[in-house]
Amino acid sequence: MRRLEADVHLWQIFRSYLRVGLLTEMEYRINFWINLIQSLLSAAVALGALAVVFGQTDNLGGWTPAEMIALLGVYYIIGALIRVIIRPSMTQFMEDVRKGTLDFTLVKPADAQWLISVQKVEIWQLMDLVIGIGLLGLALQRMGERVGLQQAFIFGVTLLAGGLIVYSFWLILSTFAFWFVRVDNIQVIFTSLYEAGRWPITIYPGWLRMMLTFLVPVAFATTVPAQAFTGRLEPGLMLGALALAAFMLIVARLFWRYGLRAYSGASA
Amino acid sequence: MSADPLITVRNLRKTYTVSERPPGVGAALRSLIRRQSREIHAVDGISFDVAPGEIIGFLGPNGAGKTTTLKMLAGLLHPTGGDARVLGFQPWRREKEYLRRMTLVMGQRNQLVWDIPVIDSFELNRAIYQIPDGQYAATVALLTDLLELDPLLHKPVRNLSLGERMKCEIAGALLHQPQVLFLDEPTIGLDVTMQRRIRGFLAEYNRRTNATILLTSHYMADVEALCKRVVVIHHGTLLYDGDLAGLAARFSPFKTVEVEVPKGAGADWSQFGEVIARTDGMVSLRIPKGETAAVTGRLLAQFDVADLTVQDPPIEDVIEQVFQEKLRIEE
Repeated sequence: MRRLEADVHLWQIFRSYLRVGLLTEMEYRINFWINLIQSLLSAAVALGALAVVFGQTDNLGGWTPAEMIALLGVYYIIGALIRVIIRPSMTQFMEDVRKGTLDFTLVKPADAQWLISVQKVEIWQLMDLVIGIGLLGLALQRMGERVGLQQAFIFGVTLLAGGLIVYSFWLILSTFAFWFVRVDNIQVIFTSLYEAGRWPITIYPGWLRMMLTFLVPVAFATTVPAQAFTGRLEPGLMLGALALAAFMLIVARLFWRYGLRAYSGASA
Repeated sequence: MSADPLITVRNLRKTYTVSERPPGVGAALRSLIRRQSREIHAVDGISFDVAPGEIIGFLGPNGAGKTTTLKMLAGLLHPTGGDARVLGFQPWRREKEYLRRMTLVMGQRNQLVWDIPVIDSFELNRAIYQIPDGQYAATVALLTDLLELDPLLHKPVRNLSLGERMKCEIAGALLHQPQVLFLDEPTIGLDVTMQRRIRGFLAEYNRRTNATILLTSHYMADVEALCKRVVVIHHGTLLYDGDLAGLAARFSPFKTVEVEVPKGAGADWSQFGEVIARTDGMVSLRIPKGETAAVTGRLLAQFDVADLTVQDPPIEDVIEQVFQEKLRIEE
């Protein structure tokens, strides 16, 4: 019962930040159009690139055009999660460390990790989510298949795991702000590595594939859910993705707490 | 005063390790490999108690350890040693039950969301503190009334003046009806009228709710108006803990004597004491405390005195003197 109340509290907090995000974006309505155009352009360019590639070949590392479109869809959906919540919130967190306003967050009677993780929502970036879902629909149509209930479930689970993995990874990077104060550049590195996720992990050379799977787990964020969507996920990988997500969440949590302790001088 | 203290602080200490390096590129590069560090005793063994409903002022020059002490009591910093209890909690454990009953206002920093109307920022705090609807409405109404927030609530924070923003910041920090308020320079940078407003509000709020208030300020006027009791901190140690009047009595070895004499009554005033100010018909003298009685006796005997007052010097001067004396001793 207490657990449930705590969850309701977290949800209420998230909803309030969502509201603040909406109100903020209403103050800058032009951003809506800018983001719309930007998202449409980038999706068009990405699809164009696919068209060029598949003009030369009908199979890219074992992926058909329709499957590649599905991958692009997943790439946009996870990208939306990053751009709507993760990146704005983590950027705000680093700024709060630098300016000392993190103190306000730390005296609040709610989980500080949760507060910093959802504290800034950039609603208009949701456009990428719409585009991502649209791309998945397009892929379905091209594949000419229906997605069964089981397949949809596996896709949902791997997508969730992918989102959690990206979040945990980003939180770990941001936590370094407690020691180094300015770590904005780390975010740029992750953003460019995530770019690699728009292509299937299988096309990269072995060393890079290893890196994108285990060091920066981009593979689990895009390739794996896309495989699930197109019904070609090796059994067991779903559990692998879930296990990795759980593991990274725990590591991120522990590291966050360690950073917080260092920040308040408890471990000194 | 039989009430149990609401805050107890015992031998509280905080030591920072700071890295330093000599100037120059070469030294900067060397420091990448080997960092030189030094310990700074920001708070060095402070003890005091605060009773429920008290307003207590922390005084001290920059870097004296006021803010560090306040931050430990607010749970933001872990002490290096010693102990403190606020409302029965050890602050730095940051238990939710404790955080729900205290608040923090920092004059130099804002927590309200810049781009949205004030009232919407309040809504955010309402969700975080889980304030029940009825209580929330009543508190907002009360604070709106006391701080005259009515014209401000629906404006985006970025459109407010510094003083208006501070009023809203304070209101936002009080929505959950905290019992303990930590205020770090709440009036900094505000004009005199606004300072007075905020002071008046704090006094009124304390009277109505019996909330306990700890505040640091650079403005003596804040402290004089609000705090019956002051704690003077210097170099991390407690220099004085008591009422304001006692501070003057204890640290100022002088009294100020003002004499009103008939116009044109000339004399060599310096034989009575140090002349601070002099106009035709009015003289201010600084006189060692022990000689006050004798000197006033002589003044009354020699001149046709229209009026004579003996005062403690302005509290601001006393404080300044205390810190200067202390510095001289240390040097």
